[in-house]
Amino acid sequence: MMKLIDSINNFFSVIGGLTSFTLRFFVEVFRPPYEITEIRKHMDELGVKTFSIVSITGFIIGLVLGMQSQPVLARFGAEMFLPGMIALSVIRELGPVLTALIFAGRVGSGIGAELGSMRVTEQIDAMEVSAVDPFRFLVVTRVIATTLMLPLLTIYVDLIALLGGYVAVIITQNMTFSYYIQLVLDAVRFSDIIPGVSKTFVFGFVVGIVGSYLGFNASKGTEGVGKASTTSVVISSLLILLIDSVIVRLTLIIFPD
Amino acid sequence: MLKIENLHKRFGDLVVLDGVNFEVPEGTTTVILGRSGIGKSVLLKCIVRLIEPDKGKIFIEGKNIFELTLKELNELRKNIGFLFQSSALYDSMTVKENLAFPLLRHTGLTNKEIEERIKEILNLVGLAEAISKMPSELSGGMKKRIALARSLILNPKIMLYDEPTTGLDPVTSKEIAKLIIEMQKKFKMTNIVVTHDMVVALSTADKILLLENGNFIFEGTPEQLLNSELDIAKKFLSTKLD
Ligand SMILES: Nc1ncnc2c1ncn2[C@@H]1O[C@H](COP(=O)(O)OP(=O)(O)OP(=O)(O)O)[C@@H](O)[C@H]1O
Ligand SMILES: [Mg+2]
Repeated sequence: MMKLIDSINNFFSVIGGLTSFTLRFFVEVFRPPYEITEIRKHMDELGVKTFSIVSITGFIIGLVLGMQSQPVLARFGAEMFLPGMIALSVIRELGPVLTALIFAGRVGSGIGAELGSMRVTEQIDAMEVSAVDPFRFLVVTRVIATTLMLPLLTIYVDLIALLGGYVAVIITQNMTFSYYIQLVLDAVRFSDIIPGVSKTFVFGFVVGIVGSYLGFNASKGTEGVGKASTTSVVISSLLILLIDSVIVRLTLIIFPD
Repeated sequence: MLKIENLHKRFGDLVVLDGVNFEVPEGTTTVILGRSGIGKSVLLKCIVRLIEPDKGKIFIEGKNIFELTLKELNELRKNIGFLFQSSALYDSMTVKENLAFPLLRHTGLTNKEIEERIKEILNLVGLAEAISKMPSELSGGMKKRIALARSLILNPKIMLYDEPTTGLDPVTSKEIAKLIIEMQKKFKMTNIVVTHDMVVALSTADKILLLENGNFIFEGTPEQLLNSELDIAKKFLSTKLD
């Protein structure tokens, strides 16, 4: 019981610290000059790090979703709706959220560990003493990179998942790829794509800022690095799910059907 | 040049600095001795404001550093070189990138000039061949020398050395001691050297301070230390186990 109270306390103190860290980010991000090379370097790294895992996941999401939904739709004689259903589920919800969760696991933990080890080995102190603001150089660049990279990855995952969905469709039906795409395009509206993609900017930001915050404030010792890394995955995943439920509600208000 | 007044720092119940006072005249070297864990690194970090003391003043070139804005503080930091006890090389960058980092941000040098400056400083620390290595490929002693090169690369007016020779063999240690003296003569540097290495201490110091329980219990020239009757001073100098 005490442990539970401790961990709840801990969660709220992280959220408190995170809030002021986020405010500091918004103060710094609007101040040039920007470390463009550093941002690009991080984006490249993020892409390389996550490309294969999101490709596989994306394909399987589409495939499994298609295979699971097919018999249900068949029961109502509505198999023609299968492509549209896959597309809507993927674009509105599964693509953004699952990609974000994978991103949190892979990238969030990486940032936590990287900055954490820089903190405990005094590299961050060294940067500060050499009159370079470590917050700007290390944190701002990483958060910008994750914020821009996750939407790109999500669009890619959406496309791969549609491909997986097509495979699921042709297992049971005869359908040409161009007809499948036609059905997808008929079902999907802009008001499905816009919120689906735009929320991933928020998720990407969350992964970057949580990992950076925990790494930047890691406590001494290798234990501190490990903790920064795992805690960033837990906190950013939780925040992604929480924020998602709020955004879904808001989207339904802004884009009523 | 550098003056410290009544500096206090505690971590919880642990009193580390308890009203420390000292002054380092321009162009001289002050060596700080003291047992492990006594607060030498904490003292050095206060001087560059990596650690905020609880009380006290630090004057550098006549200005109290705790009254500076961040911008003024950073201007000041460009004139201070800090060699970390742990070297603190950026481990995602090559040796060359580590050395270029301050140059790219604080000087208007061209790429060619930066390259030349890097070669020059690497020759100075005797590690020209390490230029494209990653820090993880270097030995502890090599890291120390690269870190030394990085802290010297902007020709600082003040150098703070935190154990410059720990982990080095006696031959290289002497080279480093010579380098500290040479740099000081050449550029009129003001140095503070924290060390356990008596060769470095006695050869580089104009003044030696001995830190114990939050304050200095000895202050004097190397000769005075050699003739001191203080028990702890004798222990520092002795090569015998007793
Ligand atoms: N950030 C910190 N938080 C809490 N305690 C600290 C912190 N930094 C240093 N200390 C404590 O202050 C004391 C002095 O540490 P410091 O690193 O200055 O020792 P030192 O004299 O440099 O020792 P060494 O010769 O081993 O490097 C130690 O007891 C250390 O545990
Ligand atoms: Mg120390």
